[in-house]
Amino acid sequence: METSLSPRSLGQPGFLSDLRAFGAVLLREWRIFMRYPSWMIALFIWPLIFPMMYILTGRALSGPDGSGLEVFTQVTGATDFIGYIVIGTTVWMWQNIVLWDVGFSLRNEQMRGTLESNWLSPTWRFSYLLGHTGPQIISMLMFIGITALEFGLLFGVKLNGSVWMILLVMLAAIPAIYGLGFAFASLVITVKEANAFVFLIRGLVMIFCGITFPISLLPGWMQSFAMWLPPTYLIHGMRAAAFSNAGVTELLPDLIPLALFGVLWLILGYSAFLLMERRARRTGAIGQY
Amino acid sequence: MSDFAIEANQLVKKFPARPGTSNPSPLHPSPGGRGDGGEGDSEGSRKLKRRHWPFGRREPKAMFTAVNGVDLQIQRGEIFGLLGPNGAGKSTTIRMLCTLLEPTSGTARVNGFDIVKQANDVRRSLGTLLAGERSIYWKLSGRENLEYFAALYHIPQPIAKNRVEELIERMELKDRANELVEKYSTGMRQRVAVAKALLARPPILLLDEPTLGLDPQAARRLRELIAELKQEGHTILLTTHYMEEADLLSDRIGIIDSGKVIALDTPEGLKHRIEQKEVIRLEVTGWHDEIADKLKSISGIENLISRQEGEADLWEVNMQAHNSRAAIPRIVEHISGNGTRLVNMNIVKPSLEDVFIHLTGKALRD
Ligand SMILES: Nc1ncnc2c1ncn2[C@@H]1O[C@H](COP(=O)(O)OP(=O)(O)OP(=O)(O)O)[C@@H](O)[C@H]1O
Ligand SMILES: [Mg+2]
Repeated sequence: METSLSPRSLGQPGFLSDLRAFGAVLLREWRIFMRYPSWMIALFIWPLIFPMMYILTGRALSGPDGSGLEVFTQVTGATDFIGYIVIGTTVWMWQNIVLWDVGFSLRNEQMRGTLESNWLSPTWRFSYLLGHTGPQIISMLMFIGITALEFGLLFGVKLNGSVWMILLVMLAAIPAIYGLGFAFASLVITVKEANAFVFLIRGLVMIFCGITFPISLLPGWMQSFAMWLPPTYLIHGMRAAAFSNAGVTELLPDLIPLALFGVLWLILGYSAFLLMERRARRTGAIGQY
Repeated sequence: MSDFAIEANQLVKKFPARPGTSNPSPLHPSPGGRGDGGEGDSEGSRKLKRRHWPFGRREPKAMFTAVNGVDLQIQRGEIFGLLGPNGAGKSTTIRMLCTLLEPTSGTARVNGFDIVKQANDVRRSLGTLLAGERSIYWKLSGRENLEYFAALYHIPQPIAKNRVEELIERMELKDRANELVEKYSTGMRQRVAVAKALLARPPILLLDEPTLGLDPQAARRLRELIAELKQEGHTILLTTHYMEEADLLSDRIGIIDSGKVIALDTPEGLKHRIEQKEVIRLEVTGWHDEIADKLKSISGIENLISRQEGEADLWEVNMQAHNSRAAIPRIVEHISGNGTRLVNMNIVKPSLEDVFIHLTGKALRD
């Protein structure tokens, strides 16, 4: 039997070790995600329910013969009003779900008691937050795929553009959307209660970003404000890619702001995380529930 | 570099005061101190204090001192027990040593590393058990939990695999290692949490109330394991509010109360402090404060503590006496009549609990 223990542990620090730890966080999240089957139902129902509200309103307003749709087409340039609405509502749901999922990821762990266990290890702590986005992005892709399928099959929405271009716009929006989620997650650890903030953000997106209408309908000051919200560009770009067959060049006015906002929000998200971490070391916030 | 496994110099931790805290005793140390077991008083003053801020969650500048100048020098290979009542500052001390909290002032070194400036080296040197069964993922299996934490502790894959199996075996989790932790008993979850602390084979272990909530048999098994871990060369700092546990396991004990270490010695040394004293233990019905005052006035009697046993009108009264032979006749004299009856009387050897009472004038557990 050993009588004296080496003062070094079995751990071997290094970049690869940190990378593997990040992989372990992803695997952990994926496993837990697969063990809560309730999301399955949500995955099929929500893509239909939320846009239906607007679609049916649109039907009613367009008149019995649907003649009002021509006006809509004149204003929006979109020949398919259902597809037009579905893109807007999907982006809204994406931002909303990210705020809940990523935003409350650390808070949930804090309440379960596992956050401290993670914090005790020598792993790069941002991995814990970053790791929550992996399964989130995958489930979001499933969500959007199912939306496309349901509306393609049930409502005959047809694309006039390339799926790859749509994906490109979405990819460009990921840093901005998740960066906001990171900042939010750090805020939630600090203030504990942040539902009001979620309601505020998604309310802003709903009114300013044109989820069911072109923002040109908004008064000038609202349009200027909309320019500061990344979902505005995401919605606009996805519609252009889906229904106006826009290529990369046509999409640049949306892609560039998205990328810039992405950099900005990643920096803000990471800074918020570092601030939260520092503050928690003083106040013990990590361990409270 | 210091040769201590853990060395703390005047560690202080202050928190922004929360009037809602469940146990704000260090803010309002029990008044009267020795020999007056004045729990009632301290309750009263707490309520008064709170009444100052009936609204508003937090009083802006007020700070609450949870740990108040703790010094520790723990040798390599030693089991050190930190013993104290609820809210004494045990967990806060552990949280500072494992780098979850930054001290407000003071310094500490763990395995030679500064807990603030070399926090990651400290984390690599430690296995920490905090919050017991809540510290692992209930939606993962025992094995998945251990594999996960092995990666967090940067243990290379092949070594991790062996180490996880070894610990599953050792913790008697083999049969159910692939089941979700939510299906485990408390004892099994605690064993996974302990295994997690041991994964990286860290030289130093911090165990915060390791046997809390375990049934007596599980608690005994865990104590045996802790003794084995010492044999294997681990330095262990454990906190507890069970006297017997500290007595049984520790090479040395620090008694902590209201954020201060008020005594630090071997269990024998601590008991030796009041060896010249005897402890008189009474069981009484119809107890009331007047009698307590009378007994306290007997010369040579101090540190009288009374507590009700269960629901019935039966009280256990402990007091320390310099000369029990002289005191007993007078005790009996005071207790007779007025509806008070002496049911039982013993003269017992001082336990660590009596040392605690001697030092603080209050009982370790209410
Ligand atoms: N993060 C925090 N913010 C404010 N107060 C805190 C915080 N953590 C602990 N405290 C307070 O500090 C005091 C000491 O707490 P601590 O958890 O260290 O006690 P303990 O000795 O571990 O007690 P127990 O036996 O109850 O676990 C308590 O009064 C507690 O309420
Ligand atoms: Mg504690």
